Amino acid sequence: MFAYYFELALRSLKRSRGLTLLMVLAIGFGVAASMTTYSVFRAVSGDPIPWKSSKLFVPQIDMWGPTGRSPDGEPPNAMDYADAMALMRAHRATYQSALYRISPSVVPADASKHPINVGGHAVYSEFFPMVDMPFKYGNGWTAEDDTQRSAVVVISGKLNDKLFGGENSIGRTINIEGKDYRVVGVTGDWNPQPRYYDISNTGGFNSGSEDVFIPFQRAIAVSMPNDGNTNCNEVPAEPGFVGLQHSSCVWMSFLVQLDDAAAVQAYRQFLDGYAKDQQLAGRFGWAPNNRLRDIPAWLDNQHVVPSDTKVSLLVALGLLVVCLVNTAGLLLAKFLRRSSEIGVRRALGARRSEIYAQFLTEAGMVGAAGGVLGLLLTGVGVASVGWVLPRDIASLARLDLSLLAITLAVAIVATVLAGLYPTFRASRVQPAWQLKSN
Amino acid sequence: MLKMTHLSKVYRTEVVETYALRDFNIDVKEGEFVAVTGPSGSGKTTFLTIAGLLETFTGGTYHLDGIEVSQLDDNARSKIRNEKIGFIFQAFNLIPDLNVFDNVEVPLRYRGMKAPERKQRIMDALERVGLASRAKHYPAELSGGQQQRVAIARALAGSPRLLLADEPTGNLDTQMARGVMELLEEIHREGATIVMVTHDPELAARAQRNVHIIDGQVVDLAEDPRFHAHVVEARQGKVAAE
Amino acid sequence: MKLHPMIAALRRHKAGVVLIALQIALTLAIVCNAVFIIGQRVSRVNRPTGLDENNLMLVTQSWVGAPSGDQPGDVDKLDSMQQADLAALRAMPDVESVAPINSLPLLNSSWNGSAALKPGVELREGNARTTYYFTDEQAFRTLGLKLVAGRAFTPADVQHRGFRDTSTPPVVIVTKALADKLFPDGTALGKTIFLDGGSSPSTIIGEVDRLQVPGTGSWTNSFTWNATLVPTRLDAGFARYAVRAKPGRLDAVMHAVPQVLYGVNRMRVLDDDSVKPFAQIRQEAYRSDVGMAILMGVVCLILLGVTAAGIVGLTSFWVGQRHRQIGVRRALGARKIDILHYFQMENLLISGVGALIGLGLAIGLNMLLMKHFEMDRLPVLYVLAGIVVVMALGQGAVFAPARRASNVPPVVATRSV
Repeated sequence: MFAYYFELALRSLKRSRGLTLLMVLAIGFGVAASMTTYSVFRAVSGDPIPWKSSKLFVPQIDMWGPTGRSPDGEPPNAMDYADAMALMRAHRATYQSALYRISPSVVPADASKHPINVGGHAVYSEFFPMVDMPFKYGNGWTAEDDTQRSAVVVISGKLNDKLFGGENSIGRTINIEGKDYRVVGVTGDWNPQPRYYDISNTGGFNSGSEDVFIPFQRAIAVSMPNDGNTNCNEVPAEPGFVGLQHSSCVWMSFLVQLDDAAAVQAYRQFLDGYAKDQQLAGRFGWAPNNRLRDIPAWLDNQHVVPSDTKVSLLVALGLLVVCLVNTAGLLLAKFLRRSSEIGVRRALGARRSEIYAQFLTEAGMVGAAGGVLGLLLTGVGVASVGWVLPRDIASLARLDLSLLAITLAVAIVATVLAGLYPTFRASRVQPAWQLKSN
Repeated sequence: MLKMTHLSKVYRTEVVETYALRDFNIDVKEGEFVAVTGPSGSGKTTFLTIAGLLETFTGGTYHLDGIEVSQLDDNARSKIRNEKIGFIFQAFNLIPDLNVFDNVEVPLRYRGMKAPERKQRIMDALERVGLASRAKHYPAELSGGQQQRVAIARALAGSPRLLLADEPTGNLDTQMARGVMELLEEIHREGATIVMVTHDPELAARAQRNVHIIDGQVVDLAEDPRFHAHVVEARQGKVAAE
Repeated sequence: MKLHPMIAALRRHKAGVVLIALQIALTLAIVCNAVFIIGQRVSRVNRPTGLDENNLMLVTQSWVGAPSGDQPGDVDKLDSMQQADLAALRAMPDVESVAPINSLPLLNSSWNGSAALKPGVELREGNARTTYYFTDEQAFRTLGLKLVAGRAFTPADVQHRGFRDTSTPPVVIVTKALADKLFPDGTALGKTIFLDGGSSPSTIIGEVDRLQVPGTGSWTNSFTWNATLVPTRLDAGFARYAVRAKPGRLDAVMHAVPQVLYGVNRMRVLDDDSVKPFAQIRQEAYRSDVGMAILMGVVCLILLGVTAAGIVGLTSFWVGQRHRQIGVRRALGARKIDILHYFQMENLLISGVGALIGLGLAIGLNMLLMKHFEMDRLPVLYVLAGIVVVMALGQGAVFAPARRASNVPPVVATRSV
């Protein structure tokens, strides 16, 4: 029977080409606008490490007190040096790492080439297992390297290609800021977006690559400056990078892994106990006001999804709704124009459900055609978001199979929904004896 | 075949109730050819729409082929229309988007018949009305008489037990009307039950029996000797013409 | 023309009328807000920074293995490296002037603090937030700033210090906006202020007309025009130089800068991003604003197009449906123009109702956006303009089918079906 409805729908759509084209265009544009903005939204609101995000936590300590809190009472979103070191020493989580962004220069061995700047992070050895870092060659460094402040480095596959032509470079050295570092690991493809482990210094999305990882204590020892935000509640008492370390200014991130609810509970208690100790010691003049959020909650709290992206999606969905209302109106006109046909069909024994099936098939076909047009336009849209959005975000929006499937499904389902009322009206047409004019 | 007892149909509006039919009784036997006549507004068409299960009625009973239909739901009524009743409309009511073949196919489609059987029946029906060669034509390309023949073919294709015709020749000129009428008579001779509404006494005279409706009630003119004589006379006239 | 029979006729197409009115209402609501967003973004992008942006470029570079600044003598070593760069750049033939500077407007890399009238005032409390531009006496010529009071820096004012050194400068120049905020009742010239809650005063020696902060995010909205110019070279492992090229020579200078700097010292990092014309800084800063405006514009165009098409479609259907009725009216003496007016009037009625509902929806949507996404209140003017636009759109869309209706010949009335 479906083949019959399909054939009837095709005939009917062909008969009023203009109206059909209008509906297809409306659906196509509406769906394409929605899906293009959705592709951006999906890219920026996704979970960067879905298999583990509920086990990774970002602790916040209120080292500034009431004068430094945000209007809603939140403590700073980054760590100062003293508290970060205290948490590292306490070592209460499965894994933990303080980290800060660095941007050192690398001097190529070939003297005729100019030095280049690379981006990266100073981290502890536990950072690598914590983020499930994939390695192409070698591995992360050891806990001993952390304490020894060893001159070791983990480099990206990209930097390895540039410096060593992609060969296994484990054991070779590279010159960072004039000092030699031994390569212990080369990472595989790793580009989590948003950069959940260092939101405060990346703002969430960053197209810059993570080319080098250096032991945290090593970076501090050689005074490798932080490349990112430094926020102070009071002016540091001493000058220089050492002054920064002695101040309450916040400039580093902190990430811990807690494997179950009990561990989370224990860590919370530890943080509160720590803050209480600081209060007793006279360093904090206020009650503990800590936070411990897992990655999804942290990303939400830090508003990493730009509000422009949300507004765009909202507006585009509004556009889709208008397109559907439009289609509903046109389908209504189209179906009721055929009242006499429906009456005759009913008189000849068509059941109401058969009229429903016939007209919903027609609506579905309009939706499918609109969906195909929508696919093409979504392709164009996604390809051109690079023109209108910040590069860091635009580069994340991708056209993949699931987006294509969703586009088509949304077009068809939405059009069938729009066709429900017109079809309902069509099915209410009484079996007709006379062809009524007007 | 078709039996209505004390049947009534009331149209209600906010201010008035109008009886379209009241205490309406009719009994059409299997194989009969009945003409229903009456002035306009008498209730002829209402009778036919109820007989064809296109509308419900207010009171009384209606048995069609032994089934009491007042309790049937919409789907069951659709099924009966599809399988037991063939319709012939004054305005033909062919679907303009479909060609002759596809128009005749409509009721068979709703019966869920397989394609080869459908095709056989459609071609038989078209053969029957002499339009097999026009299967691919669209209604707009045919004359009125041809369109009505297509409509008859559509009614016949499903082998209905009962044919309902509403002024089947009303939109046709005399010559075409005669052709259509002869076709109906032929179908009747082959055993079909036919109920035809008309206001044309000459046409009515060609039926086996006449039922006259005035003000929503049946007036049995068959018991009126003058009318009876008129019918007999007309029959003889017809025989003489043949 | 009487409205009553028209309304009665519309009641017979209730669903269609409701759908069109709803579509017009939604279109109005979305278009008003989208156009408002466009307007806001455009005015944001168009605000002048206070710089003379033509022929201006920024050089960002860092030295490899430079002193960290924590050892004695580091700062002087770094300063001499910076001075050498400045001298080399200033000696270039196509260069008008050069100033060291820690950032530029729209660069989104800033050093912010606070200015207060009393010493030791805590940050963020009852004082004016400001951004700092650390530069030297050539800043005015290089940036093209307009001095409205006092004097510019002289070479004698200029000091240098380590990047993380927190000493306060003896003299500063502030923007008029900051001066007015600090001293609403009179001139700021010659007055002293205390920076970042410090205890040593800085004297205001001049006021510039306008200078924007580097940040463009919404968090800088409260102090967009509060800038403080400090006559100090900051010494660190990296340095930025604002360079003004002679008219028309920007490309030549940009091309030549890397060679000149490598000539001074080869051990430095200069990459693709190191030498940027100001136009590019502006473009990158406002990319998302321009993008949002374009996106909203596209959405508006699609919306208006779809709605116009919907009106054409549904009105055409109604005209077709009332073909005979129109013929009868014509037969009874209606002129073509009467038929035309009938459909125009009918559309006006539907659009009017739609626009009224849309007015409410527009304000509702605006309130929703204000609540969740840092939007401003939608001015009534936008909504009124939106109403005019959708009404005009409706009239434009209805014209073709209405004219077709007016061309129905009276003889139609005599045909049966």
